Amino acid sequence: MRFIAFCLITLLSALPAFALDGQQLLKQIDRNLNPESYESYRKLINIEPDGTRKEFTLYTIKKGTDKVASLFLTPASDKGRSTLRLGDNLWLNIPNVGKPVRITSLQSVVGGVFNNADILQLDYDAEYRVEKVEDKGEDYLLHLKAKSKSVAYDRVRILADKARKLPSRIECLTEAGMLIKTLYFKDIKNFGGISRPATVETDSPLYKGYKSVMLYAKLKKRSFRDEVFTLNAMTSLDSLR
Amino acid sequence: MLRFFIIAALLTFAAPVLAAEFSFDDAEIEKKIWHLGGYVEARPGLNLLDQDAAQTRLRYYGRHVDDNLPDFNGKLLLEGSLEKDWAKLFLQPSLDYTATRLNSYLRLTWYEAWVQAKPDDSFRFLLGKRSLRWGKGYAWNPVAFFDRPKNPDDPELSLEGYWLATADFIQSFDGPLKTLAVTPLLLPQDHDLNRDFGNGNQINWGGKLYFLLYDTDIDLIMMGRGSRNAGYGLDFSRNLTTNFELHGELAWLVNSSRPVVTSNGQPSLTRGDTISWLMGLRYLTEQDTTWIAEYYRNGNGYYSNEMDTYFQQVERAWATWQQNGNAAQLQRLGQAQSYGRTAAMRDYLYIRVSQKEPFDILYFTPALTTIANLQDASFSVTPELLYTGITNLELRLKGTAVLGAPRSEYGEKQNDARIELRVRYFF
Repeated sequence: MRFIAFCLITLLSALPAFALDGQQLLKQIDRNLNPESYESYRKLINIEPDGTRKEFTLYTIKKGTDKVASLFLTPASDKGRSTLRLGDNLWLNIPNVGKPVRITSLQSVVGGVFNNADILQLDYDAEYRVEKVEDKGEDYLLHLKAKSKSVAYDRVRILADKARKLPSRIECLTEAGMLIKTLYFKDIKNFGGISRPATVETDSPLYKGYKSVMLYAKLKKRSFRDEVFTLNAMTSLDSLR
Repeated sequence: MLRFFIIAALLTFAAPVLAAEFSFDDAEIEKKIWHLGGYVEARPGLNLLDQDAAQTRLRYYGRHVDDNLPDFNGKLLLEGSLEKDWAKLFLQPSLDYTATRLNSYLRLTWYEAWVQAKPDDSFRFLLGKRSLRWGKGYAWNPVAFFDRPKNPDDPELSLEGYWLATADFIQSFDGPLKTLAVTPLLLPQDHDLNRDFGNGNQINWGGKLYFLLYDTDIDLIMMGRGSRNAGYGLDFSRNLTTNFELHGELAWLVNSSRPVVTSNGQPSLTRGDTISWLMGLRYLTEQDTTWIAEYYRNGNGYYSNEMDTYFQQVERAWATWQQNGNAAQLQRLGQAQSYGRTAAMRDYLYIRVSQKEPFDILYFTPALTTIANLQDASFSVTPELLYTGITNLELRLKGTAVLGAPRSEYGEKQNDARIELRVRYFF
């Protein structure tokens, strides 16, 4: 009898170790997607139903959980534009206008299906808490809820490969569960020791027939001082390249 | 066998096409130490003149001018930069051409020309001609002591800067104060340099202190006494919600002067401390409609009776000229340019609404702007259509109509209306 009780107590105390820590899993997914502090080059392609394309290239830097900045390199009409995210604060600097203005994460400085939240993406762990994790055979399905009202999407569902801990699909939803857009992660590539999807395609039921694609190149770890992520430094982002 | 070769041939030729559908070459992101770009612009317009307006009479007396006055404006704005390590040279010349039936001119203006040293991410030093663009207001910036005034009808235009020396010292923190930046400034003025900044040969000084405090941008600005009298300013900008932004400016000018035309037609000068301020908001709806609204109090603006006196004097001078050809008083009144500048009076309301991609027309943004003089109830209305669907090409069709009673600010403007097309190509 004492032996059975001892076994029961041992098993019960071990149960939490077997249960999956959703938030830890989300942190791993974040780190596998990007280092905590890095620089990258991306190309955004907006594709219209008739096949017409508009392309933008950006240089992006990120540090920690709440600092991201991007600089437009092409086309010529957008060259020099920069965006900065510092926590819940977002600004856009257009060279001709000459001073940064506050913008929202739901706007899009490039048009198309991607918006500022997608371009200036923070770690999912910083903005979302994991409500539940479903086992889908070779994948996990994480159900996320925004930590605050200032986050672009109230709910997110991440389908992540169990072995690689990388997303293959992310659905962004409203509080009521209406689908806003879906992100598809493809083409795993090695960026100097970081293996992650090099292509992110997105479509939206709100923009039928339109598609946007984000291509990654030259992603690498890099440290930055906090002062790089300030309004005064927005006009000098190009000097970091 | 034939079928096999056809399929193989198709795949061989198709593969590069498929691979090239989404591609990203290193050459696209290679950084060169030099850059040359800019834009070329053509801007034809048509002015519908108000022949009886004070501004028309002051400008065109003695010349026959039709009610319809077309004009053509061309612009070549170049941007060149050379950057190596922590040093950067930047040049922005603008070549402008304007032609009407009456005259034409070509003018080269250096908007900016500066060198910058940035030895550290938290410190940089700049020397040269630079447009600073201080302030948080969209249409007006009373705290922009070291900038040329911008045109509220087109506030996003590039502006010519002043020759100056400035530096940025930046510090970031954790906690409610996230950023602190100190920006001192020196602006010399003599008969060659920064001639239109003020009076006398002086080294003007001032600066800005910036805080990002509790998610609010705050600036404290100061202009020391020199070519101009001293000025002190404060501005702020904050998001109350993610899609609702509030901003404001407050400027105190010490002992500022205002040229006034008296009831006997003589120039005079009034002096005194003035307080100018601005409150504004920016609101983005779920349907991607952006509202910008600003109230502006110009503390150094004209009172209603002062503007009325001025317009009376113009009427008398016009009558005198018609009677005996004596244009002396018209010329004197024409030199009182402060009466003809934008926001010459004291209370204004600016409202702009723009809609991103209505009816799912990609890259199309219509907008409507109104600027109202709250003292005399005169105003302008400007509808606008903007299209940027072709890479590096921007098309804008803009019309402006003014309405106001006689002897009101907009009622006495030169144009009853204007329409223009702007075609801008970036390279």
